[in-house]
Amino acid sequence: MNLLNRYLQAVARLLPKARRDDIIAELRANILSQMEDREEALGRPLTEDEQAEILRRHGNPTLVAGRYREGNLGLAFGVQLIGPELFPFYRNILFLNMGITLLILFPVSFIGRAVFPSIFIPLVMQVTIITLIFSLLNRYKVLDKWDPRKLPELKAVAEDGPTGRNIFEFVSLAVGTAWLALTPKWPYLMLGPGALWLPSLDVKAFSRWPLFYGAIVALLCAEVVLRFFTLFRWMPRARARIADLVLRVAGVTVLTLLFFQGPHFISTSDPDVTEWANQTFQWCIAIAALIHLWRAGWLFFSLLRDRHQMLPARQY
Amino acid sequence: MNESPFENLRLELRRGCLVLAVLAQLRAEHYGYTLRKALSEDGLEIEESTLYPLLRRLETQGLLTSEWREEEKRNKRFYRLSKDGKVVLKQLLEEWREMGASLDRILKEVKV
Repeated sequence: MNLLNRYLQAVARLLPKARRDDIIAELRANILSQMEDREEALGRPLTEDEQAEILRRHGNPTLVAGRYREGNLGLAFGVQLIGPELFPFYRNILFLNMGITLLILFPVSFIGRAVFPSIFIPLVMQVTIITLIFSLLNRYKVLDKWDPRKLPELKAVAEDGPTGRNIFEFVSLAVGTAWLALTPKWPYLMLGPGALWLPSLDVKAFSRWPLFYGAIVALLCAEVVLRFFTLFRWMPRARARIADLVLRVAGVTVLTLLFFQGPHFISTSDPDVTEWANQTFQWCIAIAALIHLWRAGWLFFSLLRDRHQMLPARQY
Repeated sequence: MNESPFENLRLELRRGCLVLAVLAQLRAEHYGYTLRKALSEDGLEIEESTLYPLLRRLETQGLLTSEWREEEKRNKRFYRLSKDGKVVLKQLLEEWREMGASLDRILKEVKV
């Protein structure tokens, strides 16, 4: 099935992100059924050439993805120059090229004080050349002549496993959690040399602070464990996302309760500074709660979408 | 490389018929591949890369409903005609029959 996976990967690359997983899952089911039907008819597994032939008849990934794109626009001057399958790619490439051209030429032309003609001519040339290339692709059906065996090899899915980004996130979270957990014992970790003046300031946290602090550290530790498991793919992706959602909801709850517990710092030495510290702390809690809420919402809707599809989010 | 006028007209003629055929076939539930097979068995060949996006478009227009369900150890997206789809199909079939009858009359006149 390597060939099928490579084919689906090539189609997926060109699909709109919002509908990508759903479309790919459907294509996979349909193509696999077709291959199984063929195997049943032949009474043996398909060879790679036979699989390639089924995929070739299914269509060039660019054209297949183009047909799933919204709208049915094309470019025609009497005769159709660019069909609806190629049009979305034509439009994107045209805008990209024109954007780059404007970005480079505008400052140059502005300095030379000859804005209009010096920009206008390259833009017209860009439009003409790109339209010509796509018209030829459309007219001579170049994309129909393709070989599935030449599709790029499978790439690892960036979101899962020990990728550079995931390792960095795990290490950052683990270090951050350790830092927060050790701060009460060694305040200089947070305040640096200023920690020496802390006793003289007569600042105290509110009475229930240890309870909230313990809850926050516990939640962070749980997230470190979860990240560790997902880093090595020791937990199914869907289950890990549910656990993540539970942690986020717990996080929002703890932070919301903490927000309404104020004042968080009590000091007799300087009321103005104490008020400023309380306000700043409340802002920090509110921002952290909003970040958790946003992440929880995203996880909730993505789980809901995948449940509707009854499929893992990515299979290619 | 120019397509013949016949080929262009044939494609144009087929385009409208395909929607009608797909809606009619989806009075019974199908997933993409079995729908294509059913259409093919009834003599209407349609490319996969045309049919599957068409199903999505018809669903977006509210003419079809779909659900993911497991069948033969695989999750498949099953489509069926929606309530609105049934109304539209009925209207389209009436239109189709009227057009067919008109065309028959015209052809008869031409023959005479």
